[in-house]
Amino acid sequence: MDVAAELLAAALRIATPLLFAALGGILSERAGVFAVGLEGMMLAGAFAGVIGTHTLGHSGLGLLASAAGGALLAAVVAIATVRCGADQMVTGLAVNILALGLTSYLLRGLFGRGEAPIVRVTPLTPMPIPALGDIPVVGPLLFRQPGLTYVGLALVVVMVAALQRTRAGLTLRAVGENPTAAFASGANPIRVRVLAVLGAGVLAGVGGAVLSLQQVGTFTDGMTNGRGYLALAAIIVGRWSPGGALVGCLLFGATDALQLRIQGLRLPFSSYVIQMLPYVVSLTVLAGLGRSARLPAAIGIPFFREPR
Amino acid sequence: MRPLLAVLLALALTALLIVAAGKNPLLAYAALGRGALGSWDRVGVGLNKATPYVLTGVGVALCFRARVINIGAEGQIALGGLAATWIALTFPQAPPVVLPLLALAAGALTGAGWAALAAAIRLHRGVHEVLVTLLLNFVGVLIVSEALQGSLGEPGAGFPQSPLLPRASWLPRVLKGSDLHAGIVIAVIVVVLAHVLLWRMPFGFRLRVLGASTPAAVYAGISPPRALLGVMSLAGALAGLAGAVEVLGVHYRLIDGFSHGFGFNAVAIALLGALNPITVLPAGLFFGFLETGALAMQRAVGVPTPLVAVIQGLTMIFILSAMGLSARRSKV
Repeated sequence: MDVAAELLAAALRIATPLLFAALGGILSERAGVFAVGLEGMMLAGAFAGVIGTHTLGHSGLGLLASAAGGALLAAVVAIATVRCGADQMVTGLAVNILALGLTSYLLRGLFGRGEAPIVRVTPLTPMPIPALGDIPVVGPLLFRQPGLTYVGLALVVVMVAALQRTRAGLTLRAVGENPTAAFASGANPIRVRVLAVLGAGVLAGVGGAVLSLQQVGTFTDGMTNGRGYLALAAIIVGRWSPGGALVGCLLFGATDALQLRIQGLRLPFSSYVIQMLPYVVSLTVLAGLGRSARLPAAIGIPFFREPR
Repeated sequence: MRPLLAVLLALALTALLIVAAGKNPLLAYAALGRGALGSWDRVGVGLNKATPYVLTGVGVALCFRARVINIGAEGQIALGGLAATWIALTFPQAPPVVLPLLALAAGALTGAGWAALAAAIRLHRGVHEVLVTLLLNFVGVLIVSEALQGSLGEPGAGFPQSPLLPRASWLPRVLKGSDLHAGIVIAVIVVVLAHVLLWRMPFGFRLRVLGASTPAAVYAGISPPRALLGVMSLAGALAGLAGAVEVLGVHYRLIDGFSHGFGFNAVAIALLGALNPITVLPAGLFFGFLETGALAMQRAVGVPTPLVAVIQGLTMIFILSAMGLSARRSKV
């Protein structure tokens, strides 16, 4: 039982950066813009979080910097895809390359005189909730997590409510399903999409900061290492709903946590086979869902006002 | 014209980054140019770098023509290199000309198989090809790591790599006094063949119709699934070939992570080459020289090499935006 609880707690910990990115991706995709750039936005956030904490001397300011870093990259996506109608998938890839190059370059160019320096920050520590944290099994699992993990879980609830129950959420979904109709009923699809993509950047940036500030305590080249793409898969597994994406992220988190644990055992194959688990599992789940996963109807299609 | 403008714009913007790092961009770009083209030896290194880029870029360009977004080159390269290594190590007594040809063919075949797997998952399970190819990249690279950990690894090397391949399997050098190997010749042949395929053959016509309009293609009797499987396998074969060329021409052994970053570069090069095999050649050469030049730039002026990725990313964004805007204009 202890082992299982510890495994689940680890799964939740590993899932947190993915969760932030996936929630951001849902905003973007429900508004009709593919979120392939999540990987780059996370990386930008991870970088800005560490650099911000290091230079401003406060992890709260670092967190703000990570949100700004993710949003900056998202702004590039928004201008290219929403304003210019660039292909959303390939633009996402392009900003991922850009983020990888830019963060590695700035790390060396601004802080390391050509070499890659190690900028250390103190990782954010777990914040056990008094009383609740002492409940056996569930306590350590749910109530002795770092602060941002609670924020991520709370955000799931907030986003479900916002998407389903508020006017803004309705408009966002309408723009993702039929921007022309939304436009006719008085919404501004271009502004909605730009804001949704920027929101995705903020959330994915914070997701990156969870990785760099809460889990590792430093920034290394390309440290997101495909997590943005896993977040993208989690969105599809969860069928574009925040709760579903949480399940998807936890699934990948659990696979990863399991992977880290069975690496210690003596098995007839090396750890690389086990490292494939998260990717094989997500492929299997996606393939299992098959065509039942319905995309927002207007995703990928640029919206332009017809000139009159 | 448009790709050239995009490159110039990207270079201008990155010049600002060089200034931000306290260096002189003109000196940096001069060092980059010298490092890329300063001597026959440097040119040879640059052409070697460009070879896998051209091969994979052509494949990706053909896919994009049919609106198939295949970004699986990295995994396909990795497995192509693995297959070539296995052939070279398993049949070391094979005659010198036969062995490299056999190894190249095995690389191409394996790459095609891996891409066909992605195409099959796409077609039968309806998962978008971007996600399938992306996830399979991670798996493909890990398969190589696993093989190097096991039977193909060099015992006691201290780094995951295969033993040195038998000399008979190496690609011949083609320029005296440089490391330039025969891969560039293969790349040029592939470019010409792909050009003929795209513009002169029924299959190429099908790809182009499919890219223009799926309903029109179906109306014309074209089967989109069959075209997707075909073009993905072809691109996979070219990527696998590129992996084999890297192993047999540059490293002479399989090295863990040798395929890193190639897949995304292939996408950038296909775009820079305007999705046209003939123009993918200069695009690939540009990126190859950019990379060899960047190393010299880092040594001479102290500007870090990741600047190359910034240039690539910006170039892609500019080209994509321009493509989007012109599509919009033609629609109105």
